[in-house]
Amino acid sequence: MMPIWTKSGKKHAVTLLKVQDCHVLRYISKEESGGKTSKLLVGGKNASPFFKSESAMKIFKEAGVPRKQKVATFNVTDDALIKPGTPLYAAHFRPGQFVDVTAKTIGKGFQGVMKRWGFKGQPASHGQTKTHRRPGAISTNKAAKVYRGKKMPGKMGNIYRTSFGLKVWRINTKHDIIYVNGSVPGHTNCLVKVRDSKLPTYKDCNKNPPFPTFFADGDEKLPEDLYDKEIFQFTDPSVTYA
Amino acid sequence: SCRISSDGKPAKFQPPPKPIIIDRQKQREERRFLSPEFIPPRGRTDPHKFYIERKDMIQRRKVFNIPEFYVGHILAVTTADPYANEKANRFVGICIQRGGKGLGATFVLRNVIEGQGVEIRYELYSPRVQAIEVLKLEKRLDDNLMYLRDALPEYSTFDVNMKPVSHLDHEEIPVNKLQVRMKPKPWSKRWERPKYNIKGIKFELPEKKMKEAQKWSQPWLEFDMLREYDTSKIEEKIWKEVNEELKK
Repeated sequence: MMPIWTKSGKKHAVTLLKVQDCHVLRYISKEESGGKTSKLLVGGKNASPFFKSESAMKIFKEAGVPRKQKVATFNVTDDALIKPGTPLYAAHFRPGQFVDVTAKTIGKGFQGVMKRWGFKGQPASHGQTKTHRRPGAISTNKAAKVYRGKKMPGKMGNIYRTSFGLKVWRINTKHDIIYVNGSVPGHTNCLVKVRDSKLPTYKDCNKNPPFPTFFADGDEKLPEDLYDKEIFQFTDPSVTYA
Repeated sequence: SCRISSDGKPAKFQPPPKPIIIDRQKQREERRFLSPEFIPPRGRTDPHKFYIERKDMIQRRKVFNIPEFYVGHILAVTTADPYANEKANRFVGICIQRGGKGLGATFVLRNVIEGQGVEIRYELYSPRVQAIEVLKLEKRLDDNLMYLRDALPEYSTFDVNMKPVSHLDHEEIPVNKLQVRMKPKPWSKRWERPKYNIKGIKFELPEKKMKEAQKWSQPWLEFDMLREYDTSKIEEKIWKEVNEELKK
């Protein structure tokens, strides 16, 4: 995470996400998947092809791509289909867009009810006998049962969670890095799925995005760094107020 | 001198004394200073991230000059302020702490203005900062001068219109071995304890209290190998990289 400053002098915290060897793996049509839209399977970071069964390696062999560590599904409209085997780059996103980032949260192991659900516990003194971090009562008398989904101690973390509506401030095309506003679930160097935001406020946000994606061997030659128009670039002199 | 000496016999040839060459250029380059925020902290982050951050820091340094300074120097910082008269705010103070790594590096300046102690934390790479001038170069015995809060106010007062004291480039930065006198206890932190390792205070506490403070010493810490973080090689690499980029 890094600080960035806007032209008005305000500071924002930003997370750096690296797009490392992403390739499109397979196209699943609407009828095949049984959903409302067709899907595209995309694979992430390269990993070793050994210690995996033949059936698992089939998808990568068909696409002609080394084995990927993470495979994610994206719901795509029919006019945005991409051929399996095309690499995806960070320039697929542009500064000023809004994205949702999904990842597995940091695993905390088996945790008690105070840390996991934020219960208040009991006082430390004034006669409490062996009860300081316990849940207390778990149901009422009339119910005569414990409801499903009752908040109790258990394994915390290591589940998929999404942060919605994060602004993209800057894209580095040379190293394939996306600078995303705020924090993102997951530990450092964990694998993350980045997707265009589906919040209703940002529905009309993307003006002329690269559609269906940014092709490296195409005609477009992008500069090394793409900045949002409000960002303070370090090549400019210091900010002054008129 | 003449080869023939006073007795008439030819004297042994005395070669002329060798000239002593003081190479000012070499002496100047010998002092390497790498700002502490360039050194990456120990952790699991990808070193590539620090490389990218360093590029941004170097880019900012090319446009705006950040002078070399340590804790104990007296600095004057002008920042852009939309609510000030001239839209610029000038603050003079002694640097008591340098924290943070990478772009978020900060330093705290302290001064006593009209009897009120004021500490301001500035970010080195913030675009609002317009000028950083070093008024007096002077290192102190410690890396962290937070104890000036509990010292007598005369040690933290500095004239706001102080003239910059000139300092030659190749000279070493002088160390001020000043021992500061404190206000009566209680202090904000127990500075006499060995964990703070402060050498710049003149403790006027009784011997018994000083001995009692040594109870909290942890002599095994300096032998703990897992705490060692040898930064010499990393520093050299980064210093070379930063210097090459800045010369361009």
